Amino acid sequence: MDGGYPPFRAPVTALDGPAKVTGAARYTFDISIPGMLHAKVLRSPHPHARIVSIDASRAEELPGVAAIVTGADAIKLPDPYYGVAIRDQPVIAIDKVRYVGDMVAAVAAIDEETAYRALTLIDVEYELLAPVTTIEDALAEGAPVLFDAPVGGAPTKVGDKAVSLKEPRPNILYEFGYRDGDAASVLAASDHVFEDRFVFSRINHFHLEPYVNIAQATRDGIELWSCNQDPFVLRNDIARMFGRPANAVRIHTAFVGGGFGGKSFCKMEPLVVLLALKAGRPVRLCFSMDEGLLTLTKHAALLVLKTGVTADGRLTARHSEIFLDAGAYSDASVTTTIKAGYRIGGPYRWKALESHSYAVRTTMVPAGSFRGFGGTQASFAGESQIDMIARRLGIDPIEFRRKNLLTREEPFQPGDSPIDSDLPAVLDEVAARSGYTRRAPLPAGPKKRGWGLAIGLKDGGGTGNHSQALVKVLPSGRAILHAATVEIGQGATTALCRIAAEALGLPLDWVRYGDIDTEHTPLNNGTHVSCATAVTGLAVERAAADARRQIMEFAGKQLDCGPDELVLENWSVRRGNYAHPVDQLIGDYYGGAGTEFIGRGTAKIEFDPKAPIAAPAMFWIPCWVGAEVEVDTETGKVEVTRLVAAADSGTSINPLACRGQVEGAVLQAYGQSLFEELRYNGPNPVNATPLSYRVPLATDLPKHYEGFVVEHGGPGPFGAKGIGEAGMLGVAAAIANAIDDACGARLTQIPFTAERVLAALDAKRGNP
Amino acid sequence: MKAVDLSLTVNGRHYRLSVAPRRVLADVLREELYLTGCKIGCDQAICGACTVLIDDIPVTACTTFAFELDGKRVTTIEGVAENETLHAIQQAFLEHGGFQCGFCTPGMVLSVKALLARHPAPDEALIRCWLAANICRCTGYQMIVEAVQAAAKATAA
Repeated sequence: MDGGYPPFRAPVTALDGPAKVTGAARYTFDISIPGMLHAKVLRSPHPHARIVSIDASRAEELPGVAAIVTGADAIKLPDPYYGVAIRDQPVIAIDKVRYVGDMVAAVAAIDEETAYRALTLIDVEYELLAPVTTIEDALAEGAPVLFDAPVGGAPTKVGDKAVSLKEPRPNILYEFGYRDGDAASVLAASDHVFEDRFVFSRINHFHLEPYVNIAQATRDGIELWSCNQDPFVLRNDIARMFGRPANAVRIHTAFVGGGFGGKSFCKMEPLVVLLALKAGRPVRLCFSMDEGLLTLTKHAALLVLKTGVTADGRLTARHSEIFLDAGAYSDASVTTTIKAGYRIGGPYRWKALESHSYAVRTTMVPAGSFRGFGGTQASFAGESQIDMIARRLGIDPIEFRRKNLLTREEPFQPGDSPIDSDLPAVLDEVAARSGYTRRAPLPAGPKKRGWGLAIGLKDGGGTGNHSQALVKVLPSGRAILHAATVEIGQGATTALCRIAAEALGLPLDWVRYGDIDTEHTPLNNGTHVSCATAVTGLAVERAAADARRQIMEFAGKQLDCGPDELVLENWSVRRGNYAHPVDQLIGDYYGGAGTEFIGRGTAKIEFDPKAPIAAPAMFWIPCWVGAEVEVDTETGKVEVTRLVAAADSGTSINPLACRGQVEGAVLQAYGQSLFEELRYNGPNPVNATPLSYRVPLATDLPKHYEGFVVEHGGPGPFGAKGIGEAGMLGVAAAIANAIDDACGARLTQIPFTAERVLAALDAKRGNP
Repeated sequence: MKAVDLSLTVNGRHYRLSVAPRRVLADVLREELYLTGCKIGCDQAICGACTVLIDDIPVTACTTFAFELDGKRVTTIEGVAENETLHAIQQAFLEHGGFQCGFCTPGMVLSVKALLARHPAPDEALIRCWLAANICRCTGYQMIVEAVQAAAKATAA
């Protein structure tokens, strides 16, 4: 670590902890507005159909029903569509439905029961169209198209060596391409070239607090109490869609009960606003968990990697084609596609890299942001293939990695920022802790033990990201920190308060994180990309420094000396041997209610067209994973007996939360690797209920399960960087690599079910 | 439908309520007694977020009819701390990072309270087994397990 910054060794407990362990914490789910109606949504039972007619007259007559909204209302809006960069999702289905679960009509009534009953009285006539259920079907010649005409929006800006195309072909909503060097000729000149294909599954976020919003809308203004993690992005979307000036749209954010990407960008929010406008009363809409399962998923994907290597085991070039199943609507598919495509090289040195990634439209539940954001798909394929190549060449996978890993200070790709963690050092530590380096095989029998490693990698902080912050220091020295980072469980608000407290020389519990209200809170781009501590944290550090400067200037003036003669500590300024309480100085000078010192700070990652994706990464998020598995070669059952993962937080500002972030993400990735999946039978979801959709329970934990944090420095405040997504990366590959190590079965499709293990064993033995 | 009269104790306080027969405990707690610490996640007795104790036994309030509670004693998360002092379990969750978003925490704390009442010194396997009644999507459970171990130690001391 560089600089003379104070270390943050002492663990702190979460500032929001007492409220959370006593049940006092208030979530959007708990908010109630006087006169509030309750809404429910009618959803399409068909994967793909034209809406011929909707007759809601019987529902309208039901006592207690206040408003019914359909596509006929949405179409009258100035812009009824939302989505990130490409905007194709209507507030509510306008002409067509495009997946089972698409929203067709919504009712606001005096209570949920009446709203539910009204839904059964709405008659919808559909003209059925052919579904498009797989990436292959969507890309086939003559496949049914989901959109008849180009949709709104524009492709995201990328750097000079990349291409970014909106709707280049039917059913492809977005294409990203990146080229460094001439991969084709480098591959042709390589001693070995390996082509492998990987299939990645679809999972849901399964946040426990449901999607919930309350809207109040009048001619003068729109107010939303929202579980959304991006209050300012949401404000701008609502303003655009409803044709209101942004200062007439106000978003309130409370505690968010989990999100993992699911609560980013617009989901149900415009619909709740539309209902509230039509009803002329506040409306609350809370999805059931079943509906949550049909709202957003992680992108299922198909990845084909062609990788060259020299006879002595040096990687030469990689060519990749990545198809992400975007489902029915764009949501955040554009950025996910960019990130998956760009990250496919992983943490290795290449002479040439060529990547093509596509977001493909299908009639499945829309896919969008999910912790790891394209990096999980890329690292599963990339880190599996690295292992496969090492084994084919007869090199120990750890040796193969060591030979090819980027070292600190080497750029990820030309024009991007250098790797800022010591990748080989932590790989060795994880190898030791997970048993890789001291293998203890099982005695002969059907059960085989094996070990696998992986290093997932993604960029962090957000491309060209920006954040503002404001710190108010009250006459008593108590402070209120205002920033738009949403407390979603990641512990960011404690970290941000600690940054402010440290910069102001105040005790941590003197700083309170202010409620988020877009009317008062300074802007940021949302709670994403592990950016809170690093990006918003920098803005907070600068805001606190600004307030501190004002305090010192004021105190210097009062004491008739230069600010640099003073030391500020626990709300006292010390000059030589004399301490002067600041509250007293304020009282003497201002009288009355005193004054507040208001500090402001901003942080911005600069755009740079020379960087591959238009801005260099602020920092890198590696995740080192080691897995030990036992595979029963008779039943195909895989048991992970040790799982060790490490991530780099730079300076850990909130050490407990850092460990929790790593372990929490690792378990999500572990569930997806072994069993969790939103499954479809053709066009129909088969397990979109909380009972049948299986997420990891405490009994699913590996026998030995350990997340740990290393501190290699970062560009954020006090040398911090982000860590929230790390644990998602690399877990699936490490387990696949361990399974191969145990029994020679190579699984290239997740989850690693017993059936797939047995099939892989059969394939290896040459059985059909 | 005719309302049902019932008399019950919640967090040591006595209540007489008149409830519709189809009303579930979670709604009564949240909407009539304003005990919003009882969270509803799945609303289907799967996730355990709404766990409360009825006569010290953990149940999912989202699927328990209110009329079943006549004469019963209910403990919600609001009744776990004594005045301003956190219960040893709450203190352990706080110190060991046994929560993140906090939405599962009230139910989790109540499940652990019931666990420690029956098994004051549970081993890790038993802790994992009990916690399997409550889904936590954030923490990865291990820090909750450690919090339970610490709470058991603190309670025994």
